[in-house]
Amino acid sequence: MIRFENVTKVYDQTARPALDDVSLEIDRGEFAFLVGASGSGKSTFLRLVLKEDRASSGAVYVAGQNVAKISSWRVPRLRRGIGVVFQDFRLLPQKNVFANVAFAMQVIGKSRSVIRDTVPEVLKTVGLEGKERRMPHELSGGEQQRVAIARAVVNRPGILLADEPTGNLDPTTSMGIMGVLDKINQNGTTVVMATHDDDIVNEMRKRVVELKHGVVIRDEARALYTSMIPVVGQSRRLKDASGRDETPPRPGSHEDAGEEQR
Amino acid sequence: MRLAFILGEIGSGLRRNVSMVVSVILVTFVSLTFVGAAGMLQLQINQMKGYWYDKVQVAIFLCSDGSTAAGCATGPVTPEQQENLKTLLDSPAVAQYVNDFQFESKEEAYKHFKDQFSNSPIVDSVTPDQLPSSFRINMKDPEKYQIISETFSSQPGVETVIDQRQLLERLFSAMNAASLVAVSIAGVMIICAILLIATTIRLSAFSRRRETGIMRLVGASKMVIQLPFILEGVIAAVVGAALASGTLWAVAHFFLGEYLSKQYPDTAFISPGQTLILAPALLILGGSLAGISSLLTLRRYLKV
Repeated sequence: MIRFENVTKVYDQTARPALDDVSLEIDRGEFAFLVGASGSGKSTFLRLVLKEDRASSGAVYVAGQNVAKISSWRVPRLRRGIGVVFQDFRLLPQKNVFANVAFAMQVIGKSRSVIRDTVPEVLKTVGLEGKERRMPHELSGGEQQRVAIARAVVNRPGILLADEPTGNLDPTTSMGIMGVLDKINQNGTTVVMATHDDDIVNEMRKRVVELKHGVVIRDEARALYTSMIPVVGQSRRLKDASGRDETPPRPGSHEDAGEEQR
Repeated sequence: MRLAFILGEIGSGLRRNVSMVVSVILVTFVSLTFVGAAGMLQLQINQMKGYWYDKVQVAIFLCSDGSTAAGCATGPVTPEQQENLKTLLDSPAVAQYVNDFQFESKEEAYKHFKDQFSNSPIVDSVTPDQLPSSFRINMKDPEKYQIISETFSSQPGVETVIDQRQLLERLFSAMNAASLVAVSIAGVMIICAILLIATTIRLSAFSRRRETGIMRLVGASKMVIQLPFILEGVIAAVVGAALASGTLWAVAHFFLGEYLSKQYPDTAFISPGQTLILAPALLILGGSLAGISSLLTLRRYLKV
């Protein structure tokens, strides 16, 4: 579903690349965690999948298509096949729950009757039935994130990208959100979730891809947040990489602030 | 659905930004009024030129009932006198200065008069008999007017010889200068309008960046995202253009029609209806200016 072939992304020629020769494949229907410290390249990975940025070298395939070859007027079609959820929910404050979810369908021209049928169904999937008329500020953080998830999946994308979806939530609420994401994954949607939340990763026991300074240092099925197996061959390389930690703020670490502008 | 959605977006955009939208309307209104004023002056010049202005330079008016000129002592022009004049015009002495000439009968004079003064009440009180017949001469060299004048003024049956062009040319050059001034002011105002529209669209795009961000993420097309902004600018500019058209109509109706045409009954003024041919031009001009400037602004400030 998502395939990276030797992908390198350089934001600034003088600094270390945000992604460095990453090759990775995530299959259809898989659930994968993307872990690593801030600035390790998680958000860059997600941006490349969405064609928000171009890879400096290498190729990114989404649903079998090389995204570099998608012309700009067909990018919307690519994005319709990908749902995105963020740490800060990004709901429209002046619209109620129903309207927030319906918005995603309106802007791609779905008919009113389809919207009327689909939105309550999706709200039920995320566990928000009966709260259609609530405004975002009347909801808890967990509920707001459920609305955001409903909006992301209402057009039935094949892929759901979640960028630290539980970053603002307490552990119990987070587990609830994970239940929703798991349910969506069971329905056949590929889920890629970037996270720092070790409890969740350890609880879920899904595939874990760990990035550090733009390099994949671990890729294990049904894994934990931190590796149980000491990686012999890579330890030296890790040391080298961490030795360069004093380098001035790297462009790779701007992700959270940069997303405001989208 | 999508149309309804886009219209809703436009509505909310206009509401959120009322003061800017009003200023866009006013600036386009003023600038297009100046453009229209220049257009009206040109229309007025055309109106005053009448039927003959572009075709001939010199008119030899023949005697009619009640003419008091020396050449008219024998009363209205007789067919023989008229024939003599025609022979004289054809004679080599005169013909070398003349490209060609035409005879305008009283009936033709009445018809042209009616066309030119169609907006004036004077047209009802004039009959063909009151208008002189005339020879209209197209000169090879308009400067040689004196020769024609000297040759014909003393001929029997000739009331007067007039160089119409000279009479009107001074007035027209003043009016052309005035329309040039109007166009210059309009140019400055249009630059103002373009910049103001660009700023308005920028603000509007900024205040709705949350929505547009989400629209991008869920895969809305470029058109759905940008069209509300562009139409916002276009609608404001078109409203301004409509106000400008209305103002020009009012000027033609109340100032020219009700006031000036009573002060100067022997001048042909344009009708209010004629100013309306300027309206589509103003609407298209206003709309396309706004469309282009918002499109360029969005290119820079709204990532799609």
